Amino acid sequence: MKRKLISVFMTVIMGCTLLAGCGSSGDSAGTSSGESTVAMENNEDAETETKEADTKEADTDGDQTLTVWAWDKSFNIYSMEEAEKVYQKDHPGFQLEIVEVGWDDMQTKLSTIVGSGNYDQLPDILLMQDFAYQKYCITYPDLFQDLTDCGIDFSQFAEGKLNASVVGGKNYGVPFDNGTEIAAYRTDILEQAGYTVEDLTDIDWDRFIEIGKDVFSKTGYSLCSVQAASSDLIYQMLQSAGVSTWNEDDTPNLVGNDVLKQCVGIYKTMFEEGVMAITNSWDEYIATFTSGKSCGVINGCWIMASIQSAEDTSGLWQITNLPSLPGVEGATNYSNQGGSTWAITSNCSDFDLAVDFLKETFAGSVELYETILPGAGALSTWIPASESSVYSEPQEFYGGQEVFSLLTDFAEKTPSVNLGVYYTEANTALATLLANVVAGSDIDDELKIAQETVEFSMQ
Amino acid sequence: MSEKFKTVLKYAFLIICTVVSVFPLLWMVIAATNKSVDVIAGKLSLGTNLVENYRNLIGQQPLWGNFWNSCKYAILVTVLALVVSSMAGYAFEIYRDKAKNMVFSVVLMTMMIPFVALMVPLFQIYSRLGLLNTTVGFILPSLATPFLIMMFRTGAKAFPLDIIEASRLEGLSEFQIFFRMFMPTMKSTYAAAAVVTFMNAWNNYLWAKVIMSDNTTQTMPMLISSLTSGYVTDYGMLMLAVLITTIPTAIVFFALQKYFVEGITGAVK
Amino acid sequence: MKKNKLTLSKKQNLTGWIFLIPAMALIMCLSLYPAVKALITSFKTGAGSNMRWVGIANYARIFKDTVFLQSIRNCIFYLIIQVPVMLILALILASILNDRNLKFRGFFRTAIFLPCATSLVAYAIIFRSLFATDGFINTVLVKIGILDTAYNFLSHATSARIVIIIALIWRWTGYNMVFYLAGLQNIEYSVYEAAKIDGASPLKTFTHITVPLLKPTILMTAIMSTNGTLQLFDESVNLTFGGPGNASITMSHYIYNQAFKGVANFGYTSAMAFVILIMVAVLAFIQMKVGDDRE
Repeated sequence: MKRKLISVFMTVIMGCTLLAGCGSSGDSAGTSSGESTVAMENNEDAETETKEADTKEADTDGDQTLTVWAWDKSFNIYSMEEAEKVYQKDHPGFQLEIVEVGWDDMQTKLSTIVGSGNYDQLPDILLMQDFAYQKYCITYPDLFQDLTDCGIDFSQFAEGKLNASVVGGKNYGVPFDNGTEIAAYRTDILEQAGYTVEDLTDIDWDRFIEIGKDVFSKTGYSLCSVQAASSDLIYQMLQSAGVSTWNEDDTPNLVGNDVLKQCVGIYKTMFEEGVMAITNSWDEYIATFTSGKSCGVINGCWIMASIQSAEDTSGLWQITNLPSLPGVEGATNYSNQGGSTWAITSNCSDFDLAVDFLKETFAGSVELYETILPGAGALSTWIPASESSVYSEPQEFYGGQEVFSLLTDFAEKTPSVNLGVYYTEANTALATLLANVVAGSDIDDELKIAQETVEFSMQ
Repeated sequence: MSEKFKTVLKYAFLIICTVVSVFPLLWMVIAATNKSVDVIAGKLSLGTNLVENYRNLIGQQPLWGNFWNSCKYAILVTVLALVVSSMAGYAFEIYRDKAKNMVFSVVLMTMMIPFVALMVPLFQIYSRLGLLNTTVGFILPSLATPFLIMMFRTGAKAFPLDIIEASRLEGLSEFQIFFRMFMPTMKSTYAAAAVVTFMNAWNNYLWAKVIMSDNTTQTMPMLISSLTSGYVTDYGMLMLAVLITTIPTAIVFFALQKYFVEGITGAVK
Repeated sequence: MKKNKLTLSKKQNLTGWIFLIPAMALIMCLSLYPAVKALITSFKTGAGSNMRWVGIANYARIFKDTVFLQSIRNCIFYLIIQVPVMLILALILASILNDRNLKFRGFFRTAIFLPCATSLVAYAIIFRSLFATDGFINTVLVKIGILDTAYNFLSHATSARIVIIIALIWRWTGYNMVFYLAGLQNIEYSVYEAAKIDGASPLKTFTHITVPLLKPTILMTAIMSTNGTLQLFDESVNLTFGGPGNASITMSHYIYNQAFKGVANFGYTSAMAFVILIMVAVLAFIQMKVGDDRE
């Protein structure tokens, strides 16, 4: 009884304090909305300083701590931890505080922070998906710091990869992992149908469909699979020929984009002929190749970790390049899906330290890459690292292939494209288009609708 | 004979509902013992990977620390929310007048706006009041929910007014009437509200993730989100975490459900 | 005497407000104030915190947004079918489980409540695999001859929506049952016993005693479910991903995508949120007028 009364009392007090606080903050909100951005930034600087003061009080050596947001414990967080160890050798007081923030949560947090103008809530360094780089850099120009002239040698990174974090000729990030496109096939199933991985190397999609039909009729396996709610495969095909969904002036290039139309046609044919399985979700997609419905995978090389989760198929897989678009000028067998880059935010408490840390590790330590490649399969786009002997180690799971040097080779040949600020909107619109086309709608009609949807989002 | 048939029918209906309801939980139990590959392939028999899944889970995530965080928040929220919201619900019904009805309508309206739209302004408020990255900020939005207030208001409709009159004649203050008469009498409503509040607090995720940027305050739903956000998802490990997350709500429900059937009349006498 | 009573009621009135202070303070700061700010934002446009006034342009834009209009249709479809079915089922279960002679009551109650405590991550995976082309549901339907060949439920518009409805009923029936069970305790059990002695059939007892006496609770759950369904988010995001195409996307899901996935325009998303508010408020008002006959 007494306790209950006390808790009631406490809540009342809490409520009252809040009410009072709200009243005053309401007033300041009224004025600040009319103020210019510069004034708001000053305000934020003041807040940042108080925050720094707090941290300094907490740590005896607060100067040397950086906060990082990343999302995969066994991949990019692991790599960051290894980078911390590498840097600590010469800088014993240095420390990282790595916060696990899933990519979806990261987007929610970033949108909330920039939407409310509270840039002081950003970490020092964060990991950013390559496909979202343009969006954040261009929409929120004061979110990431310009790294162009800070002493990092960007020429040592693969060009196709680097482009994701370059906006208006300036570098806004240090590239991390590689999203080079692979095609992986089960050699035992192909053999049953009378094919080898050789037959699927350096081919075009027409030949791929031909083989696929044959494999399907002989074994019942599809040759690849996709997830229904995404248009990633279309993007991969487009990039392999260097075709963008955007015009030079950043207007959507969907209607009248013949290559795109061709890709959608290939997609539809592959589905109808049983060459490609369409699944309803990510876990079903993984299941198609880990438990035997599909004997091939076409995706970014990070998918290898999922392929390898089917331990009993070790030695049966082999990797090659993806089919090219037939009859398209500039078509190649190389593309990219995903990948991420480290960014230094405008809220970074010690810019020089952050730059030096990245320069000594992800942009300068062969040792780091030699650790994280076998440790997490983190494939570098930093060219000096690929000369390391670790890269030419044969991989048991892929029948002794030297997978990593193969991928580095693919990465260098990948054309780069402009994914655009409105990449997510276009990707969603194309996913809707694919669902409708597969269900029987006319491609041209659907392209028109997709174009309108994207234009609507851009208003 | 017909009576017997009806009883059989009744139990048959309940058993079907039970099986349908419990199946996913059973599936989770099975999945937690299997390897990732088998889970997504839809394997329906017990596996041998439970220990391995558990080892992976505690190796990767601070499982029990997070579990403890979740318990702390959920219990704190439940206790405080029941007091704050039941007081409000009681007042809206027992002391009802035009003005309070108006206020109640406004309270209801605030429930009808998707939270997504409130996040940005709420974040600004939190930043100004220094509530970001604090436990208080974490629990505050759950303490006075329109839903709970409405539930207690509905419950108070059934509270016999003569009890209030009698207590007033005996000289009890209005607060004493609430704490000594209303609270014990409405046990069934409190029990039901406690279950629902605990569950919501336990699963609360979106706002917590937005305002907390700190690994030590992670709760179970955040842990599960972390498990699904990597490039590879270990579904066996995930299902074990999901199973551990589900159990407390089930226990709370099982412990409190007997109060649902304790009638109001019994408690008053 | 009468005068005395007036001051007394004034005193009680004041006590009433004191009771309300903690809850109202919290709601004002954490819901009402942000809501007003969001309302102001809904008349602005721009990315991030850099916004300018546009009047009602955001609201006008909604009527041209084919995806949002589709999501409104989807939500209304869910609402019309799911809410009545679920509430009736919950009422039936509650009245069966309120029987004191029933064995294993506690077990049955807990089992039927369990779905809403089950993690979304798990049940989304289960429901998808149950309704997959080679899943359990298809196997059964083909075996008993309802279907000739397996049907991919999640890749067709209507069946995907129906899967969402089934999932919703599965998840929330037990939840609503809890409120009815709690509400039923406020009905004197002797009323039931008297009805039984009078020889009233279970159906009659249900329609003549249970339903009328539970009316306030039914009204409350109806408003809650309406609100929940029009703000539906989890199932659309996790179960069908809004697909195929946008055939099963909900309003909240679309708003979330607009606010956090693509280039954020909080002006437009706030405007869409207020459209939901208006829809729920109108429906709740109608339900209260129909349901509350006390005034």
